[in-house]
Amino acid sequence: MEELKKKITQKITDHFADAAVKKYEGNRVDFTVKKETIPAILFFLKDEMGYNHLSHISCVDWLEEKEFELIYIVWSYTDHLKVFVHTRVDRENAVMDNIDMIWRQANTYEREIKEMYGIHFEGLEAPEEFLLEDWEDMPPMRRDFDTHAYARKTFWDRQEARSDAQDVRETITKRTGEEIPDVAKKYSR
Amino acid sequence: MINDKVSQKIVDIIQNYARKHSLWVLAYGTGCGAIEIPPTMTSRYDAERLGVRGAATPRQADVLLITGYLTTKTLKRVIRVYEQMQDPKYVIGFGSCTINGGMYFDSYNTIKALDRYLPVDVYINGCMPRPEAVLEGFAKLQELIQAGKADGSKKYKENLEWYRANQKEVIPVWRMPEFNW
Repeated sequence: MEELKKKITQKITDHFADAAVKKYEGNRVDFTVKKETIPAILFFLKDEMGYNHLSHISCVDWLEEKEFELIYIVWSYTDHLKVFVHTRVDRENAVMDNIDMIWRQANTYEREIKEMYGIHFEGLEAPEEFLLEDWEDMPPMRRDFDTHAYARKTFWDRQEARSDAQDVRETITKRTGEEIPDVAKKYSR
Repeated sequence: MINDKVSQKIVDIIQNYARKHSLWVLAYGTGCGAIEIPPTMTSRYDAERLGVRGAATPRQADVLLITGYLTTKTLKRVIRVYEQMQDPKYVIGFGSCTINGGMYFDSYNTIKALDRYLPVDVYINGCMPRPEAVLEGFAKLQELIQAGKADGSKKYKENLEWYRANQKEVIPVWRMPEFNW
């Protein structure tokens, strides 16, 4: 397994100079590349190395770094190994290359990511609404979208909280003289 | 010649007796609640001894069983389904998601209180309710029907404006007909 991983790492870094390797345990190999390299590296993995199954396209919102991370996961039926290709996209102007000509099923993931994170994929087929119907607010999976506030504003609720579901921590601390740590204060109602 | 009121009452009693023993259920299986329906229907709990059985289409059904959370997207379909059902019709809200949102209280697309959008005759609480609780809910519905108190569809017709206004609050683009019956 380790030899195979080393071989694949060697082959990728030979072809793509900007591919940085990240080491993990298990049957996975991770590369981080620039976003312009993504179609080339995925095409290379599929055509030359036999990684012809696209498992998933995942997205992570790095709010503090003002970036989105896109992760393409591909799988080889002969090597039994996953290759993760990471890339970063600017959060303000989130534009990404479309890869649904390499794998047709990428279209579904890209449409979902477009709706949930607001990343624009250039030349995406069928760009109309997919999961959300008539959504006008900010894409809901972004981390600066406050789902609780939105739900309170939009959906009528019986009452704020039941009388027997109040936070009992303050009462307990008064009785015992303890202090609530800052971490816990964040979660208290 | 007996007087009209008395004869009407006798007819009602017979009608309600017949209705409560043939509840054909349209299970709208959203979320995890649908998993409790097969054990309720099959031999261990055997809901059919109460006259409860599945119906294939909304037009053949008497009870709309909403098992779990409803998103704004599925609420549209449920409204269409409910309005296509023929009288007498009843709604059972199943699980805490239909009562107050349950574990989806802070979700961006699930409604919290079902009775604001559709008239609910019986709520079964629990997350999830066990088949015993489901059977008790049906027994309660039968009681209400026999007493003539399960009048959700009448309420819906009388207060249609209020229900429609609430529905349109969460469904901004209304692409459905105003009346389905």
